[in-house]
Amino acid sequence: MATTSAPSQTKPVEDSIAKVNNEFAVGSDPEFQFRWERFESIVWAILIIFVLLSVAGVFGRGPAAKSRLQASDGSLQVEYERVQRFGAPSLVRITFPASSVQNGSLQLWVSESLIKALGAQRVIPQPAESKIDNQGILYTFPVTTGSGLVEFSTEPLSIGSSQIAFGVPGKANVQAKVFVLP
Amino acid sequence: MAAVFRAMAGYYFLVFMMRIAGRRPGKQMTPMEFILVFFSGGLTLTAMVADDRSLMNAFSQIATIALAHYILVVLRLRFPVVGRIVDGTPLVLLEKNKWRTAMMKAMQIQDDDVMAIARDQGLERLEQVEYAVLERNGQISIVPVEEK
Repeated sequence: MATTSAPSQTKPVEDSIAKVNNEFAVGSDPEFQFRWERFESIVWAILIIFVLLSVAGVFGRGPAAKSRLQASDGSLQVEYERVQRFGAPSLVRITFPASSVQNGSLQLWVSESLIKALGAQRVIPQPAESKIDNQGILYTFPVTTGSGLVEFSTEPLSIGSSQIAFGVPGKANVQAKVFVLP
Repeated sequence: MAAVFRAMAGYYFLVFMMRIAGRRPGKQMTPMEFILVFFSGGLTLTAMVADDRSLMNAFSQIATIALAHYILVVLRLRFPVVGRIVDGTPLVLLEKNKWRTAMMKAMQIQDDDVMAIARDQGLERLEQVEYAVLERNGQISIVPVEEK
């Protein structure tokens, strides 16, 4: 893309470079430098704030990003990261009391956004059955006794905000908002 | 498509961060600054490549960076203010036996950095330096006192 000028094209030398003490052509611009230093100090302040927020987890993967929601009837509790990062692994942990177990199994409905937006990779424990149901997936987990825990590994596939929902059929749903950063 | 944007964002972000983090490359580069440059480059690379290790991704990202660089060069040539933002301007550090202390402090340069360059030019004492200028590429230029 570089162009070369013909050898015959010339231009007289002009005294265009700013001088120091009227004798030394340096081309410095003290006014610009002063403004730049002020800008730099603002940027440093922003960088410090950014790192502190990062440590706190405001941009995901820290205490501030973690959230916990409970269904209004106590049928399940969801722990998740409300701020996640594109392509970075995360966990959605669902705990449920013994009252949510019926006939030796737990049925858990999750919205399809868990797969579409958050890219659910795997679920632990392995469900006995999973079927497409009402814009989501209905999992059935065998339960021997008491309360339990289901974990979804996620890896967000799209940037931006998305809503995920969980619920035990016939009981209250939990809606969680997740924001995925680039 | 995302790889192209990632490459472009990575390039401009690195240019900006290197401009902010200091101007001491070239001869004045210390081991600490080598770490800054290479570590930053390596970390940017991880996000740019992501999980796409294909040759096509490498080609498209290299082409993008070349294009991003060319755009910056053209803008720098066409608009002097872009040049000042990207490269800064030469800064006088020493002028007729007087240090510009505020500038030295802002640029984190000490008198022995200047003396090191002066020695390189065969000068033995700082009094033999008429002007010392921190250039845009991070090197220090020395103008010796004219012998009368």
